[in-house]
Amino acid sequence: MTFITNVAYIMTKYWRTFLLQGIGYTLLLSLIAVSGGAFFGSLMALAKRSRLKLLRAVVNIIVEVVRGTPVLLQLYIGVFVFPMIVPALSSLPYIYSVSIVLIINSSAYVSEIIRSGIEAVDAGQMEAARSLGLTQRTAMVSIVLPQAVKNILPALGNEFIMVVKETSLASTFFVGELMTSYLKVKGYTYLTMECLVIVGVLYFALTYILSKLLKVLERRMKAHA
Amino acid sequence: MLDIKNIYKNFGDVHVLKGVSTHVEKGEVVVIIGVSGSGKSTLLRCMNLLEEPTFGEVWMEGRLMTPPDPYLHEEVIRASKTYGRLRSEGLDDAGAIKKIKDEDLLKEKHPRAEGNAYKTELEKIYRENGIDINLGRQKMGMVFQSFNLFNNKTVRENITLAPIKIGRQRLKEAKKRGESVDKTPEDIVKAANAKAMELLERIGLQDKADVYPSTLSGGQRQRVAIIRALAMEPDVMLFDEPTSALDPEMVGEVLDLIRDLVKSGMTSVIVTHEMGFAKEVADRVIFMHDGVIAEEGTPDEVFNHPKNPRCRDFLSKVLY
Repeated sequence: MTFITNVAYIMTKYWRTFLLQGIGYTLLLSLIAVSGGAFFGSLMALAKRSRLKLLRAVVNIIVEVVRGTPVLLQLYIGVFVFPMIVPALSSLPYIYSVSIVLIINSSAYVSEIIRSGIEAVDAGQMEAARSLGLTQRTAMVSIVLPQAVKNILPALGNEFIMVVKETSLASTFFVGELMTSYLKVKGYTYLTMECLVIVGVLYFALTYILSKLLKVLERRMKAHA
Repeated sequence: MLDIKNIYKNFGDVHVLKGVSTHVEKGEVVVIIGVSGSGKSTLLRCMNLLEEPTFGEVWMEGRLMTPPDPYLHEEVIRASKTYGRLRSEGLDDAGAIKKIKDEDLLKEKHPRAEGNAYKTELEKIYRENGIDINLGRQKMGMVFQSFNLFNNKTVRENITLAPIKIGRQRLKEAKKRGESVDKTPEDIVKAANAKAMELLERIGLQDKADVYPSTLSGGQRQRVAIIRALAMEPDVMLFDEPTSALDPEMVGEVLDLIRDLVKSGMTSVIVTHEMGFAKEVADRVIFMHDGVIAEEGTPDEVFNHPKNPRCRDFLSKVLY
């Protein structure tokens, strides 16, 4: 019984910290990471298909390193290294460096999603377009990419859900997202279990709603196939 | 019309084509036969450069589509340093050229190694004869074994996509050159749509204009693929085993359409396993074996009096 009254007490007193600040920053960070990741990931996917060997090699190294090391480690390195490279960052809150790290991390994953999405389109589609005398570019834009998007969007949605959960690691630097709210409220109240359950329910609600939204989106796309 | 000069094609260490030369006349129907893996599809795909030949040249209507192959041009060989060295060693002109060709002596991967004169000659040939690959391909229609209709476009869009895109592009280029143009982009779309409907009527699929290819049968898809190629008004049609992926009951409708086309005078190169059809429509039959043309002649010569033992063997297995 005390558990429920404690939860109710925490939510009435600290709901702003969880619902406004916590969810707000979690969604903000995820959105920054995935949209930045989608943008730079597309560029990296293009670079991987480039004729320049050096460019391909550099991008491949970035992707392998990012995928092969823990996000937490990347965050630590980012938070310490970026302010050294760009001095302006050192006077700004950690969230800027954290965002940059998350964007780089997400770019690596998204570039793989895009690459495999493009490669999953039957090579015959490109050949048919080229055999008609269309340029590589037109064939890509009119035929291959629209079909690749159907492979890419669902995977990109999953990446978004993954990132929502990964942002919890940013709480190491107290940037204000959900897990930071947990740390704060636990510090005020000493009610560890109650705070954990609240945060857990909120994360679950977030990802559950997102995955349902994605399902709807996927079904719509199939209808337009 | 279509000239294939000494084509080699290597996939890594696998030598698929080992020196194929042939010439397709306007209005001629050439059928290529041979066992699987003999290089017949690769040869067809080299004709419109879907596969880039490792050596050799492809000429379409007097224009060079591939980079020039130095071994096919004696003036280029004469400009090379290797030729100069051989001459100074006492060989005469013919001897030096023969030695270079036989022993593959030109350092063609490193044009600079053969000197500036050599490089200039090669560039001159390309400048005088070269044509943009896309321009060349616009004159060649290609039909694939697996149809390759655009999945994300309706039947009508499949047919009109290339004429509209390329028509607009030509219009833009003409304007850029300052020529007076009497067409608007809308005219191009209108004309392409009219042409598409006309072609669809020809194959009796006008009521399928706005459906997606996934709803069509194999035979219908292949017939749409054929008229999609025709919509670009090509000068030559390349067929890559057009009936091999079809259910048996649908082979007939596709062959009928190809027959109509060929009878109407369309220059065609057809790779096929349908020997009866080959015999009926071909002006010339090419039998490929192990990357070379092993036998070539009229259908009567190749089918009834084959000289090459491989060809005889192949025919005895497929004609029963």
